[in-house]
Amino acid sequence: MFKLLKSITKAGDSIVKYPFAPLEVSDDFRGKPEYNSKECIACAACTRACPANALIMETRAEDDSRRWELSMARCIFCGRCEEVCPTGAIKLSKEFELAVTNKKDLYEDATFTLAHCRECETPFAARKAVDYAMDLLVQSGMSEEQQEKRRHQVETCPECLRKQSMMDYDNVFHGVHLTNGQQSQGERA
Amino acid sequence: MSEMKGIREIVGKDHTATVPVPLDENAIKLKSVLLEDIKRSAYVYRVDCGGCNGCEIEIFAATTPVFDAERFGIKVVASPRHADILLFTGAVTRAMRMPALRAYEAAPDPKIVVSYGACGCDGGIFHDLYCVWGGTDKIVPVDVYIPGCPPTPAATIYGLAVALGILDQKLKGSSVKEEEGERVTLKHTGIPLEMKVIIEREARRLAGYRHGGLIADDFMNILVESTTETVDANIKAYLDKKDDPRLREIFDNLYRVSLAELCGRSQSADTEAEG
Repeated sequence: MFKLLKSITKAGDSIVKYPFAPLEVSDDFRGKPEYNSKECIACAACTRACPANALIMETRAEDDSRRWELSMARCIFCGRCEEVCPTGAIKLSKEFELAVTNKKDLYEDATFTLAHCRECETPFAARKAVDYAMDLLVQSGMSEEQQEKRRHQVETCPECLRKQSMMDYDNVFHGVHLTNGQQSQGERA
Repeated sequence: MSEMKGIREIVGKDHTATVPVPLDENAIKLKSVLLEDIKRSAYVYRVDCGGCNGCEIEIFAATTPVFDAERFGIKVVASPRHADILLFTGAVTRAMRMPALRAYEAAPDPKIVVSYGACGCDGGIFHDLYCVWGGTDKIVPVDVYIPGCPPTPAATIYGLAVALGILDQKLKGSSVKEEEGERVTLKHTGIPLEMKVIIEREARRLAGYRHGGLIADDFMNILVESTTETVDANIKAYLDKKDDPRLREIFDNLYRVSLAELCGRSQSADTEAEG
Protein backbone atom coordinates (compact mmCIF):
# COMPACT_ATOMS: atom_id res chain seq x y z
CA MET A 1 0.00 0.00 0.00
CA PHE A 2 2.74 2.38 1.02
CA LYS A 3 4.72 1.37 -2.06
CA LEU A 4 1.73 2.08 -4.28
CA LEU A 5 1.25 5.56 -2.83
CA LYS A 6 4.91 6.21 -3.26
CA SER A 7 4.86 5.27 -6.93
CA ILE A 8 1.74 7.38 -7.42
CA THR A 9 3.45 10.44 -5.99
CA LYS A 10 6.46 9.71 -8.16
CA ALA A 11 4.32 9.50 -11.29
CA GLY A 12 3.19 13.08 -10.72
CA ASP A 13 0.29 14.93 -12.32
CA SER A 14 -0.61 13.76 -15.79
CA ILE A 15 -3.20 16.43 -16.52
CA VAL A 16 -1.88 19.30 -18.62
CA LYS A 17 -2.32 22.72 -17.09
CA TYR A 18 -3.30 24.09 -20.45
CA PRO A 19 -5.86 26.88 -20.23
CA PHE A 20 -4.18 28.20 -17.08
CA ALA A 21 -0.62 27.82 -18.32
CA PRO A 22 0.64 28.01 -21.90
CA LEU A 23 0.93 24.63 -23.60
CA GLU A 24 4.31 23.47 -24.85
CA VAL A 25 3.96 22.23 -28.40
CA SER A 26 6.58 20.24 -30.27
CA ASP A 27 9.14 21.84 -32.59
CA ASP A 28 7.49 20.87 -35.84
CA PHE A 29 3.96 21.70 -34.76
CA ARG A 30 1.95 23.05 -37.66
CA GLY A 31 -0.27 25.85 -36.42
CA LYS A 32 -1.58 29.08 -37.89
CA PRO A 33 0.16 30.05 -41.16
CA GLU A 34 1.95 33.29 -40.35
CA TYR A 35 1.99 35.52 -43.40
CA ASN A 36 4.33 38.42 -44.04
CA SER A 37 3.06 40.46 -46.97
CA LYS A 38 6.32 42.45 -47.11
CA GLU A 39 8.16 39.30 -48.20
CA CYS A 40 5.45 38.13 -50.60
CA ILE A 41 5.98 38.51 -54.36
CA ALA A 42 2.41 37.46 -55.23
CA CYS A 43 3.63 34.62 -57.44
CA ALA A 44 0.63 32.45 -56.45
CA ALA A 45 2.75 29.33 -55.89
CA CYS A 46 1.04 28.78 -52.53
CA THR A 47 -2.42 29.00 -54.04
CA ARG A 48 -1.50 26.31 -56.56
CA ALA A 49 -0.09 24.07 -53.84
CA CYS A 50 -2.93 24.47 -51.33
CA PRO A 51 -4.95 21.24 -51.44
CA ALA A 52 -7.97 22.74 -49.68
CA ASN A 53 -8.06 26.01 -51.67
CA ALA A 54 -7.68 27.93 -48.44
CA LEU A 55 -5.29 30.20 -50.29
CA ILE A 56 -6.70 32.09 -53.22
CA MET A 57 -5.18 34.58 -55.62
CA GLU A 58 -7.49 36.76 -57.65
CA THR A 59 -6.23 39.02 -60.43
CA ARG A 60 -8.32 42.01 -61.34
CA ALA A 61 -7.02 43.72 -64.47
CA GLU A 62 -9.61 46.48 -64.30
CA ASP A 63 -8.39 48.00 -61.04
CA ASP A 64 -4.84 46.80 -61.57
CA SER A 65 -4.59 44.63 -58.49
CA ARG A 66 -3.97 41.10 -57.38
CA ARG A 67 -5.58 39.95 -54.17
CA TRP A 68 -4.24 37.13 -52.00
CA GLU A 69 -6.50 35.58 -49.42
CA LEU A 70 -6.07 33.00 -46.69
CA SER A 71 -9.11 31.38 -45.17
CA MET A 72 -8.21 29.87 -41.83
CA ALA A 73 -11.60 28.16 -41.85
CA ARG A 74 -10.60 25.96 -44.75
CA CYS A 75 -6.91 25.56 -43.95
CA ILE A 76 -5.87 22.02 -43.11
CA PHE A 77 -2.42 23.04 -41.81
CA CYS A 78 -0.48 20.78 -44.16
CA GLY A 79 2.37 23.26 -44.65
CA ARG A 80 2.59 22.96 -48.41
CA CYS A 81 2.43 26.74 -48.79
CA GLU A 82 5.54 27.00 -46.66
CA GLU A 83 7.25 24.35 -48.80
CA VAL A 84 6.70 26.11 -52.09
CA CYS A 85 7.12 29.75 -51.05
CA PRO A 86 10.26 31.02 -52.80
CA THR A 87 10.79 33.91 -50.40
CA GLY A 88 9.66 32.40 -47.11
CA ALA A 89 6.76 34.84 -46.77
CA ILE A 90 4.48 32.22 -45.24
CA LYS A 91 5.52 30.07 -42.30
CA LEU A 92 3.48 27.81 -40.08
CA SER A 93 3.67 29.06 -36.51
CA LYS A 94 2.93 27.28 -33.24
CA GLU A 95 -0.26 29.25 -32.68
CA PHE A 96 -3.21 26.90 -32.23
CA GLU A 97 -5.75 29.07 -30.40
CA LEU A 98 -7.78 29.95 -33.46
CA ALA A 99 -11.41 29.68 -32.34
CA VAL A 100 -13.48 32.72 -33.31
CA THR A 101 -17.04 33.87 -32.83
CA ASN A 102 -17.09 35.97 -35.98
CA LYS A 103 -16.30 34.19 -39.20
CA LYS A 104 -14.74 37.30 -40.80
CA ASP A 105 -11.83 36.99 -38.37
CA LEU A 106 -10.78 33.76 -40.06
CA TYR A 107 -9.86 35.56 -43.26
CA GLU A 108 -6.63 37.36 -44.06
CA ASP A 109 -5.96 39.18 -47.27
CA ALA A 110 -3.34 41.28 -49.03
CA THR A 111 -3.53 43.33 -52.21
CA PHE A 112 -0.68 43.82 -54.67
CA THR A 113 -0.23 45.98 -57.73
CA LEU A 114 0.39 44.63 -61.22
CA ALA A 115 3.22 45.39 -63.62
CA HIS A 116 2.36 46.58 -67.12
CA CYS A 117 3.92 45.20 -70.27
CA ARG A 118 6.36 47.58 -71.96
CA GLU A 119 4.93 46.90 -75.37
CA CYS A 120 1.19 46.58 -75.06
CA GLU A 121 0.59 48.15 -71.62
CA THR A 122 -1.54 45.25 -70.39
CA PRO A 123 -0.95 44.12 -66.81
CA PHE A 124 0.64 40.66 -66.87
CA ALA A 125 2.29 39.86 -63.50
CA ALA A 126 2.67 41.24 -60.00
CA ARG A 127 5.11 44.13 -59.86
CA LYS A 128 7.00 42.59 -56.95
CA ALA A 129 7.42 39.29 -58.82
CA VAL A 130 8.90 41.09 -61.83
CA ASP A 131 11.28 43.04 -59.59
CA TYR A 132 12.29 39.84 -57.81
CA ALA A 133 13.02 38.03 -61.07
CA MET A 134 15.21 40.94 -62.16
CA ASP A 135 17.04 40.98 -58.82
CA LEU A 136 17.76 37.26 -59.19
CA LEU A 137 19.23 37.83 -62.65
CA VAL A 138 21.38 40.67 -61.37
CA GLN A 139 22.60 38.54 -58.50
CA SER A 140 23.54 35.67 -60.79
CA GLY A 141 26.28 37.93 -62.13
CA MET A 142 25.12 39.77 -65.21
CA SER A 143 26.93 42.63 -66.83
CA GLU A 144 25.21 46.04 -67.03
CA GLU A 145 24.66 45.67 -70.75
CA GLN A 146 23.04 42.25 -70.42
CA GLN A 147 20.90 43.56 -67.57
CA GLU A 148 19.39 46.29 -69.72
CA LYS A 149 18.60 43.77 -72.43
CA ARG A 150 17.07 41.34 -69.98
CA ARG A 151 15.10 44.02 -68.17
CA HIS A 152 13.25 44.73 -71.38
CA GLN A 153 12.54 41.04 -71.79
CA VAL A 154 11.44 40.53 -68.19
CA GLU A 155 9.10 43.51 -68.28
CA THR A 156 7.34 42.36 -71.43
CA CYS A 157 4.29 40.12 -71.34
CA PRO A 158 4.54 36.56 -72.72
CA GLU A 159 2.18 37.41 -75.59
CA CYS A 160 4.41 40.24 -76.83
CA LEU A 161 7.54 38.15 -76.31
CA ARG A 162 6.08 35.46 -78.51
CA LYS A 163 5.23 37.98 -81.21
CA GLN A 164 8.70 39.48 -81.06
CA SER A 165 10.43 36.14 -81.40
CA MET A 166 8.18 35.23 -84.32
CA MET A 167 9.08 38.47 -86.10
CA ASP A 168 12.73 37.71 -85.70
CA TYR A 169 13.52 35.47 -88.67
CA ASP A 170 16.52 33.80 -87.02
CA ASN A 171 14.32 32.32 -84.32
CA VAL A 172 12.07 30.42 -86.71
CA PHE A 173 13.37 26.96 -87.54
CA HIS A 174 11.43 25.79 -90.55
CA GLY A 175 11.92 22.13 -91.27
CA VAL A 176 14.39 21.65 -88.46
CA HIS A 177 13.05 18.14 -87.85
CA LEU A 178 13.17 17.16 -91.51
CA THR A 179 16.94 17.14 -91.78
CA ASN A 180 18.99 14.69 -89.75
CA GLY A 181 20.05 15.53 -86.20
CA GLN A 182 23.67 16.38 -86.79
CA GLN A 183 23.00 18.73 -89.64
CA SER A 184 20.34 20.69 -87.83
CA GLN A 185 22.60 20.98 -84.80
CA GLY A 186 25.32 22.31 -86.99
CA GLU A 187 22.95 24.79 -88.57
CA ARG A 188 21.78 26.04 -85.25
CA ALA A 189 25.30 26.45 -83.98
CA MET B 1 -22.07 35.11 -49.29
CA SER B 2 -20.37 36.69 -52.27
CA GLU B 3 -17.72 37.90 -49.84
CA MET B 4 -16.70 34.34 -49.02
CA LYS B 5 -14.33 33.94 -51.83
CA GLY B 6 -13.44 30.67 -53.45
CA ILE B 7 -16.90 29.26 -53.39
CA ARG B 8 -18.19 31.65 -56.00
CA GLU B 9 -15.58 30.68 -58.56
CA ILE B 10 -15.28 27.01 -57.91
CA VAL B 11 -18.82 25.92 -57.26
CA GLY B 12 -21.77 27.23 -59.15
CA LYS B 13 -24.13 27.26 -56.20
CA ASP B 14 -26.86 29.51 -57.50
CA HIS B 15 -29.14 26.60 -58.21
CA THR B 16 -28.58 24.86 -54.87
CA ALA B 17 -28.14 27.25 -51.98
CA THR B 18 -29.09 26.38 -48.42
CA VAL B 19 -30.63 28.87 -46.07
CA PRO B 20 -29.62 28.59 -42.41
CA VAL B 21 -32.35 28.07 -39.85
CA PRO B 22 -33.41 31.53 -38.60
CA LEU B 23 -32.62 32.31 -34.98
CA ASP B 24 -35.53 32.97 -32.67
CA GLU B 25 -35.42 36.41 -31.00
CA ASN B 26 -36.18 34.98 -27.59
CA ALA B 27 -33.47 32.38 -28.05
CA ILE B 28 -30.90 35.15 -28.60
CA LYS B 29 -31.98 36.82 -25.37
CA LEU B 30 -31.91 33.54 -23.50
CA LYS B 31 -28.42 32.72 -24.74
CA SER B 32 -26.74 35.23 -22.44
CA VAL B 33 -28.72 33.81 -19.51
CA LEU B 34 -27.66 30.33 -20.53
CA LEU B 35 -24.00 31.34 -20.53
CA GLU B 36 -24.38 32.63 -16.98
CA ASP B 37 -26.04 29.41 -15.89
CA ILE B 38 -23.84 26.75 -17.44
CA LYS B 39 -20.43 28.19 -16.77
CA ARG B 40 -19.09 25.12 -15.02
CA SER B 41 -21.43 22.52 -16.42
CA ALA B 42 -21.78 22.39 -20.16
CA TYR B 43 -23.15 19.33 -21.89
CA VAL B 44 -21.83 18.75 -25.34
CA TYR B 45 -23.58 16.76 -28.03
CA ARG B 46 -21.54 15.79 -31.04
CA VAL B 47 -23.27 15.85 -34.43
CA ASP B 48 -21.24 14.09 -37.10
CA CYS B 49 -22.37 15.51 -40.44
CA GLY B 50 -20.20 13.30 -42.61
CA GLY B 51 -16.70 13.84 -41.30
CA CYS B 52 -13.73 11.52 -41.51
CA ASN B 53 -13.83 10.83 -37.73
CA GLY B 54 -10.53 12.62 -37.16
CA CYS B 55 -12.45 15.37 -35.36
CA GLU B 56 -14.28 12.80 -33.22
CA ILE B 57 -11.00 11.26 -32.16
CA GLU B 58 -9.70 14.67 -31.06
CA ILE B 59 -12.93 15.44 -29.19
CA PHE B 60 -12.54 12.21 -27.27
CA ALA B 61 -8.85 12.95 -26.76
CA ALA B 62 -9.93 16.19 -25.11
CA THR B 63 -11.99 14.23 -22.59
CA THR B 64 -9.16 11.83 -21.69
CA PRO B 65 -7.30 12.27 -18.37
CA VAL B 66 -4.44 14.17 -20.06
CA PHE B 67 -6.55 17.10 -21.26
CA ASP B 68 -9.49 16.32 -19.00
CA ALA B 69 -12.21 18.60 -20.31
CA GLU B 70 -14.46 17.32 -17.51
CA ARG B 71 -12.61 19.40 -14.96
CA PHE B 72 -14.38 22.39 -16.56
CA GLY B 73 -17.67 20.53 -16.44
CA ILE B 74 -17.63 19.82 -20.15
CA LYS B 75 -19.25 16.50 -20.69
CA VAL B 76 -20.11 14.62 -23.86
CA VAL B 77 -23.68 13.39 -23.72
CA ALA B 78 -25.53 10.83 -25.80
CA SER B 79 -28.67 12.74 -26.69
CA PRO B 80 -29.23 16.22 -28.15
CA ARG B 81 -32.09 16.64 -25.65
CA HIS B 82 -29.54 16.91 -22.85
CA ALA B 83 -27.20 19.23 -24.69
CA ASP B 84 -26.25 22.87 -24.15
CA ILE B 85 -23.59 22.86 -26.83
CA LEU B 86 -23.92 21.21 -30.22
CA LEU B 87 -20.63 20.32 -31.86
CA PHE B 88 -21.04 19.96 -35.62
CA THR B 89 -18.21 18.13 -37.36
CA GLY B 90 -17.88 17.24 -41.03
CA ALA B 91 -18.68 19.07 -44.24
CA VAL B 92 -22.47 18.44 -44.04
CA THR B 93 -23.19 15.92 -46.74
CA ARG B 94 -26.54 16.11 -48.50
CA ALA B 95 -27.71 12.97 -46.74
CA MET B 96 -26.77 14.30 -43.29
CA ARG B 97 -28.51 17.65 -43.62
CA MET B 98 -31.88 16.48 -42.28
CA PRO B 99 -30.48 14.39 -39.39
CA ALA B 100 -28.31 17.38 -38.41
CA LEU B 101 -31.34 19.68 -38.47
CA ARG B 102 -33.28 17.16 -36.38
CA ALA B 103 -30.50 17.13 -33.79
CA TYR B 104 -30.53 20.93 -33.83
CA GLU B 105 -34.29 21.07 -33.33
CA ALA B 106 -34.15 18.44 -30.61
CA ALA B 107 -31.75 20.40 -28.42
CA PRO B 108 -33.50 22.66 -25.86
CA ASP B 109 -33.62 26.20 -27.05
CA PRO B 110 -30.95 28.45 -25.69
CA LYS B 111 -28.20 26.38 -27.28
CA ILE B 112 -24.71 27.11 -28.48
CA VAL B 113 -23.71 25.82 -31.88
CA VAL B 114 -20.03 25.15 -32.45
CA SER B 115 -18.63 24.46 -35.89
CA TYR B 116 -15.74 22.08 -35.43
CA GLY B 117 -12.80 21.44 -37.77
CA ALA B 118 -11.96 22.73 -41.22
CA CYS B 119 -14.89 20.84 -42.75
CA GLY B 120 -17.37 22.22 -40.26
CA CYS B 121 -16.11 25.77 -40.68
CA ASP B 122 -16.08 26.01 -44.45
CA GLY B 123 -16.23 22.56 -45.97
CA GLY B 124 -12.47 22.08 -45.61
CA ILE B 125 -10.87 19.96 -48.26
CA PHE B 126 -14.31 18.73 -49.36
CA HIS B 127 -15.70 22.21 -49.98
CA ASP B 128 -16.18 21.77 -53.73
CA LEU B 129 -17.66 18.28 -53.81
CA TYR B 130 -21.08 17.94 -55.37
CA CYS B 131 -22.40 16.01 -52.38
CA VAL B 132 -21.70 18.46 -49.55
CA TRP B 133 -23.20 21.76 -48.46
CA GLY B 134 -19.78 22.90 -47.29
CA GLY B 135 -19.94 23.96 -43.68
CA THR B 136 -22.26 24.00 -40.70
CA ASP B 137 -23.21 27.66 -41.15
CA LYS B 138 -25.01 26.81 -44.37
CA ILE B 139 -27.71 24.99 -42.42
CA VAL B 140 -27.76 26.38 -38.86
CA PRO B 141 -26.62 29.65 -37.23
CA VAL B 142 -23.15 29.10 -35.73
CA ASP B 143 -21.79 30.80 -32.60
CA VAL B 144 -18.19 29.65 -32.54
CA TYR B 145 -15.86 28.33 -35.23
CA ILE B 146 -12.97 26.06 -34.24
CA PRO B 147 -10.67 25.65 -37.26
CA GLY B 148 -8.07 22.90 -37.57
CA CYS B 149 -7.78 19.61 -39.38
CA PRO B 150 -8.47 18.25 -36.84
CA PRO B 151 -8.21 20.81 -34.02
CA THR B 152 -5.87 19.54 -31.31
CA PRO B 153 -7.40 18.70 -27.92
CA ALA B 154 -5.93 21.94 -26.57
CA ALA B 155 -7.56 23.89 -29.41
CA THR B 156 -10.82 22.09 -28.61
CA ILE B 157 -10.68 23.15 -24.98
CA TYR B 158 -9.83 26.71 -26.02
CA GLY B 159 -12.71 26.76 -28.51
CA LEU B 160 -15.21 25.51 -25.93
CA ALA B 161 -13.91 28.09 -23.46
CA VAL B 162 -14.52 30.79 -26.08
CA ALA B 163 -18.01 29.37 -26.63
CA LEU B 164 -18.70 29.55 -22.89
CA GLY B 165 -17.36 33.10 -22.72
CA ILE B 166 -14.51 32.18 -20.36
CA LEU B 167 -11.62 33.00 -22.71
CA ASP B 168 -11.40 35.73 -25.33
CA GLN B 169 -10.90 35.30 -29.03
CA LYS B 170 -7.30 35.89 -30.10
CA LEU B 171 -7.43 35.71 -33.88
CA LYS B 172 -8.27 38.88 -35.79
CA GLY B 173 -8.95 39.16 -39.50
CA SER B 174 -6.51 41.37 -41.35
CA SER B 175 -6.28 43.11 -44.68
CA VAL B 176 -3.01 44.54 -46.00
CA LYS B 177 -2.30 46.69 -49.03
CA GLU B 178 1.02 46.77 -50.81
CA GLU B 179 2.93 49.92 -50.01
CA GLU B 180 4.52 52.15 -52.62
CA GLY B 181 7.96 50.93 -53.64
CA GLU B 182 7.79 47.77 -51.53
CA ARG B 183 10.48 45.33 -52.62
CA VAL B 184 11.44 41.83 -51.55
CA THR B 185 15.09 41.57 -50.63
CA LEU B 186 17.10 38.57 -51.74
CA LYS B 187 18.49 36.33 -49.04
CA HIS B 188 22.10 35.09 -48.83
CA THR B 189 23.36 37.41 -51.55
CA GLY B 190 26.94 36.51 -50.63
CA ILE B 191 26.54 33.02 -52.08
CA PRO B 192 26.58 32.49 -55.85
CA LEU B 193 23.26 31.37 -57.31
CA GLU B 194 24.58 28.04 -58.67
CA MET B 195 25.92 27.09 -55.27
CA LYS B 196 22.65 28.04 -53.60
CA VAL B 197 20.80 25.74 -55.97
CA ILE B 198 23.24 22.88 -55.27
CA ILE B 199 22.96 23.30 -51.50
CA GLU B 200 19.17 23.50 -51.53
CA ARG B 201 18.82 20.56 -53.86
CA GLU B 202 21.13 18.38 -51.76
CA ALA B 203 19.43 19.36 -48.50
CA ARG B 204 15.99 18.64 -49.93
CA ARG B 205 17.19 15.33 -51.35
CA LEU B 206 18.38 14.27 -47.92
CA ALA B 207 15.78 15.72 -45.59
CA GLY B 208 12.59 16.09 -47.63
CA TYR B 209 11.20 19.22 -49.14
CA ARG B 210 10.11 21.23 -46.12
CA HIS B 211 12.86 20.32 -43.70
CA GLY B 212 15.43 20.41 -46.46
CA GLY B 213 14.49 23.99 -47.16
CA LEU B 214 14.84 24.93 -43.51
CA ILE B 215 18.19 23.17 -43.15
CA ALA B 216 19.57 24.74 -46.34
CA ASP B 217 18.45 28.12 -44.99
CA ASP B 218 20.31 27.57 -41.70
CA PHE B 219 23.41 26.32 -43.51
CA MET B 220 23.53 29.31 -45.82
CA ASN B 221 22.96 31.68 -42.91
CA ILE B 222 26.10 30.27 -41.29
CA LEU B 223 28.03 30.53 -44.56
CA VAL B 224 27.04 34.16 -45.03
CA GLU B 225 27.86 35.12 -41.48
CA SER B 226 31.28 33.51 -41.27
CA THR B 227 34.60 33.94 -43.03
CA THR B 228 36.84 31.16 -44.37
CA GLU B 229 38.60 30.96 -40.99
CA THR B 230 35.51 30.83 -38.80
CA VAL B 231 33.17 28.71 -40.91
CA ASP B 232 34.27 25.36 -39.43
CA ALA B 233 33.95 26.58 -35.85
CA ASN B 234 30.54 28.15 -36.56
CA ILE B 235 29.16 24.97 -38.10
CA LYS B 236 30.49 22.93 -35.19
CA ALA B 237 28.92 25.29 -32.66
CA TYR B 238 25.58 25.09 -34.47
CA LEU B 239 25.65 21.29 -34.63
CA ASP B 240 26.64 21.00 -30.97
CA LYS B 241 23.71 23.22 -30.05
CA LYS B 242 21.25 21.12 -32.08
CA ASP B 243 22.82 17.80 -31.00
CA ASP B 244 21.20 15.72 -33.74
CA PRO B 245 23.18 13.02 -35.59
CA ARG B 246 20.87 13.24 -38.62
CA LEU B 247 21.47 16.96 -38.92
CA ARG B 248 25.21 16.37 -38.54
CA GLU B 249 25.17 13.92 -41.42
CA ILE B 250 23.22 16.30 -43.66
CA PHE B 251 25.48 19.23 -42.77
CA ASP B 252 28.55 17.13 -43.58
CA ASN B 253 27.08 16.37 -46.98
CA LEU B 254 26.16 19.99 -47.63
CA TYR B 255 29.62 21.09 -46.62
CA ARG B 256 31.17 18.55 -48.96
CA VAL B 257 29.09 19.49 -51.99
CA SER B 258 29.57 23.20 -51.46
CA LEU B 259 33.32 22.72 -51.04
CA ALA B 260 33.42 20.59 -54.19
CA GLU B 261 31.53 23.32 -56.03
CA LEU B 262 33.98 25.94 -54.78
CA CYS B 263 37.06 23.85 -55.71
CA GLY B 264 35.55 22.89 -59.06
CA ARG B 265 34.94 26.54 -59.80
CA SER B 266 38.41 27.64 -58.86
CA GLN B 267 39.90 24.73 -60.85
CA SER B 268 37.93 25.57 -63.96
CA ALA B 269 38.89 29.21 -63.47
CA ASP B 270 42.52 28.08 -63.31
CA THR B 271 42.24 26.06 -66.47
CA GLU B 272 40.52 28.95 -68.20
CA ALA B 273 43.32 31.24 -67.13
CA GLU B 274 45.86 28.74 -68.42
CA GLY B 275 43.99 28.30 -71.70
